Amino acid sequence: MSENDGFISYELQEFKLFEPLFRWARKKSLWIVAFCTGCGGIEMPPLFTARYDLERFGMMPNPAPRMADLFLITGYVTPKTLKRIIITYEMMQDPKYVLAHGSCPINGGVYWDSYNVVKQLDKYIPIDVAIAGCMPRPEAVMDGIREIMRKIETGEADGWKRYRENYEWYRKNQDELFGEGWREKDAKRWLAWL
Amino acid sequence: MFDWKLILEAIGMIIYATFVGFIFMGIERKAMARIQRRIGPPIYQPIIDTLKLLGKKESVSHGFIYDFGPIFALGASITALLFLPIANFQLFSSNADLIVVAYLLEVPMLGIMLGAMSSGNPYSAVGVQRGLLTMVAMQLPYGLALIALIQYYGSFKLSDIVALQSLHGWSILVPALLIAMVVFDIVFQAMLGLEPFDIITAPAEISMGPMVEYGGKHAALLFTQHAVQLFAETAFFAILFLGGASNLLELLVKQIAVLFIAIFIASIYPRFTIDQAAKFFWKWPTILGIIAVLLTM
Ligand code: SF4
Repeated sequence: MSENDGFISYELQEFKLFEPLFRWARKKSLWIVAFCTGCGGIEMPPLFTARYDLERFGMMPNPAPRMADLFLITGYVTPKTLKRIIITYEMMQDPKYVLAHGSCPINGGVYWDSYNVVKQLDKYIPIDVAIAGCMPRPEAVMDGIREIMRKIETGEADGWKRYRENYEWYRKNQDELFGEGWREKDAKRWLAWL
Repeated sequence: MFDWKLILEAIGMIIYATFVGFIFMGIERKAMARIQRRIGPPIYQPIIDTLKLLGKKESVSHGFIYDFGPIFALGASITALLFLPIANFQLFSSNADLIVVAYLLEVPMLGIMLGAMSSGNPYSAVGVQRGLLTMVAMQLPYGLALIALIQYYGSFKLSDIVALQSLHGWSILVPALLIAMVVFDIVFQAMLGLEPFDIITAPAEISMGPMVEYGGKHAALLFTQHAVQLFAETAFFAILFLGGASNLLELLVKQIAVLFIAIFIASIYPRFTIDQAAKFFWKWPTILGIIAVLLTM
């Protein structure tokens, strides 16, 4: 996916010996991409303020996708947002996890008959943990984060591996929704309006 | 041929400084959390973060200069560290090591900007532009504070300054140097990248500034660099104004005292815009600096 972006991307060898240490470190310091979609944008700040302080688990909202590990999809996803979500997801570096909260990313929620809401997010990017609720309470989100920490520890949180292995399938679904070459088209879209 | 003792001492000092620097970063986050009535991360959190960044399985690179920038920055802060008289032993010294350290502490910024510019991200470019303007603006008060010190002690050598302070009492007891310390403390805030002057990274305003494209191993290197830099800068402050230290514990206490002043200022002030910062640096700190220089004449 990154050859045509002009980057040099290289995979690093896995050091089997240090793997438990790295797993512990990954679990203890999840940085979140501050990408608020839908109603969940309101529910994200309370997670980091004084009442439900998520920084005690070493989590930090991070404005740069390159450094982040955890992607919170916090609500309904329109095709327009999905393009940005996919690009952000591909910019994140490899052990990366996705936590979807709210009913909308799971099956469309109350927008089940909308022409402009993506019904099943799992078809476009791999989701590790999903939390139901319209809007889930911060306790539920923290529960989901606990679950994702457990999965990282046991190595079950492998969305990034699935995305690499089944890239053709995800790519096919994305192209079905947006049409071939949507990245280039979207980048050139505003040129006519300058 | 090689001076093995010197090499071992240098390695020991680098390891100590990195470790303590990470703990300082942890203290910074913890103290800010407590000020906002949060529990905050554990104090060793930056070490975990760096480990996690080292454990990333993918690293994006944008070319040679992009890789070289963080290494250059880390090298410069380690060099600055080796010139400092940390608790009565100093590994290298020259006749003008005050100037050497003062400028080596600014070189890392250039290294980061060098790498950031080569990533070609517009956010990095805005961050670099702001960073360079801050650096230009803070040179004037920074230089004036150092001139006041040099004029008072009549020496460029850090070890001489420490020795004179242990004879005649700390620098901040002298009124002219107290003013110089206030000036230095304002500049210090910008050197650490803390709040009123955190215009360079500006989290949430211009994404992450120069660091926006760094991830994985590169970011781990930048974290290590920041730890060493934090240690060197606080030690420099303690040596210049708080009378140095005769053992590591004393130095640690003084460094933490300096750090806490910076944290308290940082957690209650919002961020300046870049034009306000440039105007500010050329107004009050400069006036105070000139007064300090005139008083020491
Ligand atoms: S699940 Fe409910 S709260 Fe969440 S985005 Fe959908 S409508 Fe909004």
